[in-house]
Amino acid sequence: MSPVSVSTRIRHFTKRTYVRHVFLLWVFFTIIVGLFAPLQSKLMGPAASTQMEVVQETMTLFTYMAAPVAGLIFAVVAYSLLAWRSKGFVAPEYEGTSSRGNGPTTVAWMLVSSLLCVVLLIWGLAEMADGQTARGDERARIINVTGNQWVWNFDYIENGSVRSQELYLPVNEPVLFHVTSVDVNHSFWIVQMGVKVDANAGVVTDMRVTPTLIGDFDIRCAELCGLNHSAMFTKVHVVSQGDYLAWILKNGGHQ
Amino acid sequence: MRKLNVWTGIVFGVIVAVAAHYLAKRYIPMGADETGTVLMDRVVITTMFGWTLGFMVGVGAFVGPYRWMMNRDLDHDDQMWLAGKDAGMARYFRFTTDHKVVGIQYLVMTMVLFAVGGTMAMMIRTQLMHADSTFLNNTWYNTLVGMHGIIMIIATIIMVSGPFGNFVLPIMIGARDMAFPRLNALSFWLIFAAVPVLLSAPFLGGISTGWTAYAPLSTQAPAGMDAYIVTIIVFAISSAVAGANITTTAVTMRARGMTWNRTPIFVFGTVASVGVAIPAFPMFMASQIFSGLDRTQGAAFYDAANGGSGWLYANLFWLMGHPEVYVILLPALAALLELTPVFSRSPLFSFNSAVGGIAGITGLSMLVWAHHMYASGWAPDLNGPFMLTTELISIPTGMLFLVFIGTIWRGRVWGRLPMLAVYAMLFNFLIGGLTGIYMSDVPVDYALHGSMYITAHFHYTLMGGALTGMIGATAYWFPKMTGRMLNEKIGIPAFVIMQVGFNVTFMGMFLVGLQGQQRRVAHYDKLFENGNFISTMGAYTIGFGALMLLYTVITSWRRGEVASDNPWGAKTLEWMVPTPVPLENFEVPPVVTSDPYGFGGPDAYDLEYEADRRPSDDLETERV
Amino acid sequence: MKRILGILSFVGCAALFIGLVAMYLFAQSTPAPVLAAQVDGVVTTSQGVLPHAFLELNTYPDGEAPENFNSDHSPHSDWVSYGPSTTLQVPAHSLVTIQITNYDGGEVLNNDFFASVRGVEGQAIMNGQPFTSISPEHVGHTFTLRPAPANTTSDLFVSVPLQAVAEEDMPESGYTTKPNVVTFSFVVGEPGEFFWNCEYPCGDGTYAKFGSAMSAMRYMAGTLTVV
Repeated sequence: MSPVSVSTRIRHFTKRTYVRHVFLLWVFFTIIVGLFAPLQSKLMGPAASTQMEVVQETMTLFTYMAAPVAGLIFAVVAYSLLAWRSKGFVAPEYEGTSSRGNGPTTVAWMLVSSLLCVVLLIWGLAEMADGQTARGDERARIINVTGNQWVWNFDYIENGSVRSQELYLPVNEPVLFHVTSVDVNHSFWIVQMGVKVDANAGVVTDMRVTPTLIGDFDIRCAELCGLNHSAMFTKVHVVSQGDYLAWILKNGGHQ
Repeated sequence: MRKLNVWTGIVFGVIVAVAAHYLAKRYIPMGADETGTVLMDRVVITTMFGWTLGFMVGVGAFVGPYRWMMNRDLDHDDQMWLAGKDAGMARYFRFTTDHKVVGIQYLVMTMVLFAVGGTMAMMIRTQLMHADSTFLNNTWYNTLVGMHGIIMIIATIIMVSGPFGNFVLPIMIGARDMAFPRLNALSFWLIFAAVPVLLSAPFLGGISTGWTAYAPLSTQAPAGMDAYIVTIIVFAISSAVAGANITTTAVTMRARGMTWNRTPIFVFGTVASVGVAIPAFPMFMASQIFSGLDRTQGAAFYDAANGGSGWLYANLFWLMGHPEVYVILLPALAALLELTPVFSRSPLFSFNSAVGGIAGITGLSMLVWAHHMYASGWAPDLNGPFMLTTELISIPTGMLFLVFIGTIWRGRVWGRLPMLAVYAMLFNFLIGGLTGIYMSDVPVDYALHGSMYITAHFHYTLMGGALTGMIGATAYWFPKMTGRMLNEKIGIPAFVIMQVGFNVTFMGMFLVGLQGQQRRVAHYDKLFENGNFISTMGAYTIGFGALMLLYTVITSWRRGEVASDNPWGAKTLEWMVPTPVPLENFEVPPVVTSDPYGFGGPDAYDLEYEADRRPSDDLETERV
Repeated sequence: MKRILGILSFVGCAALFIGLVAMYLFAQSTPAPVLAAQVDGVVTTSQGVLPHAFLELNTYPDGEAPENFNSDHSPHSDWVSYGPSTTLQVPAHSLVTIQITNYDGGEVLNNDFFASVRGVEGQAIMNGQPFTSISPEHVGHTFTLRPAPANTTSDLFVSVPLQAVAEEDMPESGYTTKPNVVTFSFVVGEPGEFFWNCEYPCGDGTYAKFGSAMSAMRYMAGTLTVV
């Protein structure tokens, strides 16, 4: 017999009932999974920094990209339980298909997953590069952060010898933190700003952030550091420029 | 030799431990500038190694080498005795070389470890039910978190390769036993020796680190940390021995005619898993040896003030820690891949892709470790490359998903418990895997690292994926290993209850993780209270389901319905031998002529395909 | 029916066992007995007129002083220890004045942030003289307090250094007759919990000297509950 064209085969394929049903289920599950994207952002709260905006954007994008993948798996799983299942405890009377694989499907799957991977990668690298353009930014205010068991303290080295266990930051100004520890590993995490870096003994690690919202946010230690790890937290107060200066002066610092 | 068993092992272990303790206290010097804690660490470590050595001697682990040195090598009767011939139940309580006995021993050990680790989980979740709970103090909470972690990690590492890699794999390849039967028993009894050592940690002051035992906090930790160190060193030896055994067996002892193309996928998964473990676990062992030296000898491997670095520990640990999750996952997935064709009555979809997927995961797993260290500040410039390798690993993992759904596609699905485990795994591991992709993105990881989101992710993959796979494997091979069918009238409801509880628990953790709760905290902000309460209720549900499942296993084992030789109609070699399996498995070594996936037949759509067929198509046509 | 009974009795027994484990762990986690503040009169503070609550604590080089909780009950009576107890209780909306008598020597802090007095109401007093900071080279202990994570009503942070007893005043055995006495006050508001601990590394023999007593409740760490 003469070979049939690929388009005819595809047309025949898409006419099959089970293919149509799986497709409908695919669309359904994709939508359900996609609904998680706004839920995630809601749970994370309003983004308090440029970095957190990137994080929430990325998670939303990844969720939308993951939705069809998850949807496909769920669709096949659900349909197989509905339509291809042999009822009861006894062995099925009939066999399933004897197909041992399908070259085009395998290749397509590899290509699509590689493509998705490339997109994820490019997106991720682009976001990282963005975060690093601030590296040469001379305007970043430098604040030293010291973690010890179980208190964070901050040295506002550009404003004299002000030291506090609370962090005050002026809004919309980039900050560079030099973070270190005097004992074990801690992790300096400004939760709503989506930035984190470990505090290690004997070395200084850097973290940049630009706060964009005025308000009070949480700083939590994110690396188990012993007895009172859960109590090792403090607040960051993001205030206007004027309020920041006022606080500095009140604590014996200078402009 | 014939008088040695687990009881003589325990007695001798205790004697040597006490002697070692006394000698250590008496003779180990303490430097002028050292304090009592250092001496205590030295004494504790000496005592624990004394126990381990004494137990291994007492249980008869060294009988073989000893007799060889004494020129009274074991003769055939001795070896038959060692293999447990005609010994009844007693052979499970001594150093027995028969791989089937070792498999059962591993199965019981795994269940015990899960019970202990699971109880600890109940304690942890009870504490976390309220934001200001006073159930446990911080020291005990941190200890339980660390103990739960390491017990579960050890249990999940051995849970499929131990019971089924030992019992099933040799029969599946047509062999009479494993390549090194005495090493096989050795690997089991080493773990048995290590368990009391590990469980003594809470009574020695506990461990203040999590299961990752990060330095330099581990240097500061109380004497319980020494128990952890000794356990890991012993466990690393056990897994190295087991790894050598499984690899050699699979490579050299396959039956005639069993080419690699006809080798069941379970063999590939198990060999890949130990293949990854062999280079990885020595890193863990080294990290703990250095930690022990820091604690007892003032070595400064991890002490920055004296030239060391905490990052050395982190690198050594994660060089183990990442491959290790694939050590956990691969055998479980491979077991499910093995049983899916049987329960879909359809061949494995693209056997070559399954092997390729396993190989890809294995290879890439050694290249991704520093994604656990994105936020550590160690090498920010390497974050990009590690993000690349980590995201690449999603490709071979995706191939395995394709094989699963491809096998199910147009199959005839038989909804017994092993197959339900496949479905549960597909659901759970998908969620776990996709959330892993989020975390592989560096900026997102800066937000999520160290939060409960991570905890939820790895429970979804290791528990929802791998442990579910082990439950499926247990249900599948139960008739062959115990001679009875696992009662599914209670087993399936138990399994469903566990899965529902599991998803409630860990979805709750994703929730609070996104809201900003850190890991390993005994108290948390009021904001997270609702999510934690939901998680705790889910955890109690898991507990109920797990206990129901344990009840099912115990009652089925004792008086379940007697199983036929091949109740599932499977085609791998272990189902071709009688149940109970004879001592040497095969009377005549089998000769293999095809792969074990010859299921399936034509259905209505196949007739339609006739019209679409290309003349060059093979006998095994491609159907979509 | 028999099956359900079987399941329930098995699960029930297992749950009982797990419950026993829980009870054991709870008993092991018992904090030191509560030391409640004595309320005596009212006082004018920056937040109005409030009741005045008093607590007297001491820090010993070991746990054997008779009035110390640890002297009878502790597995580590050689550990440096706060006394008489580390579980403190104060009334809500009051001014809490704590007097700490330090019998212990000391050395240099690893973070001189804690050499300054922080977060107190009014002035801290040492041996009768007001002070705002001490030399970071001679710190014996600190009393550093902050809210528990579940305590969302308070941002209070108090840290007061306790000067070390001079080297020449430390006797061969027993306790010094020249301890340093520090008094300080702070205002507490709504009911809630606080964690406090010492921030001077005195856990000898452990890394960063923050192990042993420094990492154990009932010795150098405790709780303060506002009721």
